[in-house]
Amino acid sequence: MTAALGLALDAALCALILGVALAVVAGRGVFRAVVFFIVYGLLAAVAWVRLDAVNVALAEAAIGAGLTGVLLLAAHGRLRRAEAAQDLAHGMPWSAALAGGALAAALGWAWFEMPIPVEPGPELAEALPRAGVGNPVTAVLLNFRAWDTLLESIVLLAALIGVWMLAREGDWREPLGRPQHARPGGVMAGFGRVLPPVGLLVGVWLVWAGADHPGGAFQGGTVLAAVGLVAVLAGVIRPPWIGAPLWQGALVLGPAVFLLAGIAGAVLAGGFLTLPEGFAKPAIVTIEVALTVSIAVTLAFLVLGPPEAEGAG
Amino acid sequence: MTAWLSFVAIGVLASLAGALWRVWRGPAPADRMMAAQLVGTGGVAVLILLAAVQDWAALDVAVALALLAALAAVGFVKAGTPDGAGDPEEEAPPADMQLSAMTPDAAAQVGRTRRDPDRRRGDG
Repeated sequence: MTAALGLALDAALCALILGVALAVVAGRGVFRAVVFFIVYGLLAAVAWVRLDAVNVALAEAAIGAGLTGVLLLAAHGRLRRAEAAQDLAHGMPWSAALAGGALAAALGWAWFEMPIPVEPGPELAEALPRAGVGNPVTAVLLNFRAWDTLLESIVLLAALIGVWMLAREGDWREPLGRPQHARPGGVMAGFGRVLPPVGLLVGVWLVWAGADHPGGAFQGGTVLAAVGLVAVLAGVIRPPWIGAPLWQGALVLGPAVFLLAGIAGAVLAGGFLTLPEGFAKPAIVTIEVALTVSIAVTLAFLVLGPPEAEGAG
Repeated sequence: MTAWLSFVAIGVLASLAGALWRVWRGPAPADRMMAAQLVGTGGVAVLILLAAVQDWAALDVAVALALLAALAAVGFVKAGTPDGAGDPEEEAPPADMQLSAMTPDAAAQVGRTRRDPDRRRGDG
């Protein structure tokens, strides 16, 4: 009975996700596609929970339903103001459909070809007690495969520098993004004061819980970035300019602490990024906290975009 | 108990299809956005039910989703303002025009022009 109901639940979820995905690409109208894409991210988060991948579900909820939605809606608003949001002419954009279909087919083929992984992996189960943390995802990300995570944190920084390249020379010393304003005491300004404290609490909890439960630096950092953005959009806090020393420090704090820990591992323990068994837990928590700060600030700055002074298109 | 919770989760998921119909149909952008918010609320409900069925850690996902689903609504009203960085509650030009400083007629006029964007069909 329970198994049949679980199957029915999965079938309903799959039907909804497929329907929404079709609506994103098949329906006409850019705005409709954007809203369907936000819904798609939301349903994908539910699907990840169904697959027992709560870590991924957290990231999907924060990125898919939170940050991407704001980014796409802002882009659509800007296109409409520039009167560039012309819908495609009737008929199918065949080349795009073909490319998308080919990619989906290739991914499907790869999925069927791959061997089914042995979960959770006997090597991981054996090594986990030595990792210092109970959450296997955190153990892999920050201990066993720390090299990947270090490079990813640097990639995020490189992406931000790429976005800043788009700034015009004259705007360089202006605050990031467009100057945001809201009616003082209005609904939006009030929202910008109510949501961030709650989000701060949830974000810090996710980072702390990440050691032994689902959560972690990326999930917590994304939540912090999202509520920080709400405060900025509501005009409660003003974004800094690119050269503000404190904020630049926050951007490099995570990769810097990570690198230092790696070098310390090379000197004191077996090699670069090797965490000695006794110090693994405090080292991982320190790296996670530093990474959270950097990820939160980097993601928020990425969504805000390059500085644009008043009157820019 | 687990079977019952799964059954309720299926029911909530099915009810989301109604909201999706509204996202498809529109017609105004605000209709689509509000329907998406409804899907967000339903999604939080499904996640809480799944947390009870499978793993209480899923409750964190429900909290994150409840917190962040509203972000899209903020982005939506922002994008609808003339410069894309304002607030529909502000007066039309962001220069400090106060409603109270106007005659009632002028205030009503501002109110009408402010409501206009909501009625616009948008591109949808």
